[in-house]
Amino acid sequence: MSLAAIARKDLQETVQSRGMIALVALFSLLVSVLAFIVRPTGQNEQFATEALLSFFVGPVLVTYLVPLVGVVVGYSAVSGERESGSLKLLLSLPHSRADVVFGKVVGRGAALALAVFAGFLLPAAVLIVAPVTFNAGSFFGYTVFAAALGVVFVAISVGCSAASATQLRALIGSIGIYVLFVLLWGIITGRLIGAAGPLVDALPLSATQIEVFLRVSNPTTAVEVLSNAFLGGQLFSGDSANQQLSAAAMLVFWTVAPPLAGLLKFDADDL
Amino acid sequence: MTAIELRGVTKEFAEVTAVRDLDLTVEDGEVYGFLGPNGAGKSTTIDMLLDLVRPTAGTVRVLGADVATDGVEIRRRTGVLPDGFSVYDRLSGRKHVEFAVESKEADDDPDALLDRVGLADAADRDAGEYSKGMRQRLALAMALVDDPDLLILDEPSSGLDPAGAKEMREIVRAEAERGATVFFSSHILEQVDAVCDRVGILRDGELVAEDSVEGLREAVGGEETLEVAAAGADDDAVAAVRALDGVSGVTRDGDELVVNCDSDAKTAVIAALEDAGVDVADFHTREASLEDLFLAYTEGEAGSPPDGDHTDADPTNDDPTPEGVDR
Repeated sequence: MSLAAIARKDLQETVQSRGMIALVALFSLLVSVLAFIVRPTGQNEQFATEALLSFFVGPVLVTYLVPLVGVVVGYSAVSGERESGSLKLLLSLPHSRADVVFGKVVGRGAALALAVFAGFLLPAAVLIVAPVTFNAGSFFGYTVFAAALGVVFVAISVGCSAASATQLRALIGSIGIYVLFVLLWGIITGRLIGAAGPLVDALPLSATQIEVFLRVSNPTTAVEVLSNAFLGGQLFSGDSANQQLSAAAMLVFWTVAPPLAGLLKFDADDL
Repeated sequence: MTAIELRGVTKEFAEVTAVRDLDLTVEDGEVYGFLGPNGAGKSTTIDMLLDLVRPTAGTVRVLGADVATDGVEIRRRTGVLPDGFSVYDRLSGRKHVEFAVESKEADDDPDALLDRVGLADAADRDAGEYSKGMRQRLALAMALVDDPDLLILDEPSSGLDPAGAKEMREIVRAEAERGATVFFSSHILEQVDAVCDRVGILRDGELVAEDSVEGLREAVGGEETLEVAAAGADDDAVAAVRALDGVSGVTRDGDELVVNCDSDAKTAVIAALEDAGVDVADFHTREASLEDLFLAYTEGEAGSPPDGDHTDADPTNDDPTPEGVDR
């Protein structure tokens, strides 16, 4: 199948790139260092894997670094091939442009997931050696959420890449989205709700509902909500079950919609 | 059936009109040379055949289907050597061909294809290390996957040395014998000359002439001089060439044979040498260059054929007969 062929080719290519290997090494090192720094000293035997992940690794590393890796992996997916000319080779073969865009999402998404798993291996070793209660289930379960966050950002960046004629534009677009979601989302949505106060009152929704919706619309928050529920043993259950469902739905939305939007532009372009 | 059919095709870019109201038909099994200087609109036309670029007006049909709607199906039966492409630097040559085989859902042996284009020794190296000529060979190997019904080759000889260009011609000939239609573009007449059934000349986005190579050359007129790098041509080989119709003289100059002949006798000369067991490493002609031919067709009103005595267009007419011509 055409899409699978592209995905496989792209995966092979991406995992061989030096930038990718460097990022995995950096990420792995940072998680390990963090695990080492916050390791329990002395009596505090209760310090557990879950706490390390949800209080330190999650907010500090995963939220900032994994989306960035996703952007780096994704932004050149289509525009890079377009600029270099290898896209001509690709589209000489019986692939549709949709195959190209979604093949890239799958291939690079898989590459990123592999990178995240690889990046968590060394820290796992540190934790096993360190005197903490190492919970392998929680630890590796958590990497799935981290990988999902990365894949969402890969999808968004590939969408930008497909819509951009040049590498530079794709990079600017992808970085812009990173800044929006990772750094500015809370401020912007807060202002928005404040400014739209009277309008919100007219809707059959409470301001809190809208706020929650906007919060989980941000893929980084959505993953945080889901991973914290998972580490707390309440995935898709408990008080926040509805919120978790919206979060999961938003993650699916962000994985599919940006590549589709990018494809719309890419499909209409002369290459 | 018609392999390629363009009807009233126009392509306007923001600043220029690259192709103007182009009608072009290539029949099944034909070898068609698409000529023109750089910037004439050849690549734009080929990009429209591949649905990389969409025409502003007109219809483009390839292998009986509309490229706008059936592009994937068409490309499943087409082999393409694009122009100005680049390879995947981190993937080996074999991986490239494997990818093409997989993409076409074919079952070709990648190594056999690489061997056919002379890349067997470099199959495991990353394509990023390949020279321009090797990349060209690699893309050709990818184009040959699954014995396509149509080969579209955009400037296939660019980056190839004379021996490589000769191998390219041989592959084109073999593919044509297999029954494939071959459509290729070039700005160098020599490469087109020996293999084409028909050529079209494009200027400023318009087809200004379309004929067999012989027909075009006849219109320009004159005898030409063929220089053949043929080390080891013995007297028998020389005699065989001299006996051909249309050959007026043969001179041996070291490893080179200089043959004065009618333009349509050239293929016969090469064939005669090869039949005599001579390894023809390279040949070229001192003759009306494409530029001359081209000017002959484009001076005056576009599309009108030139009159018969365009002596200016044939510089060899002014050459004195070389010394020692064996008559």
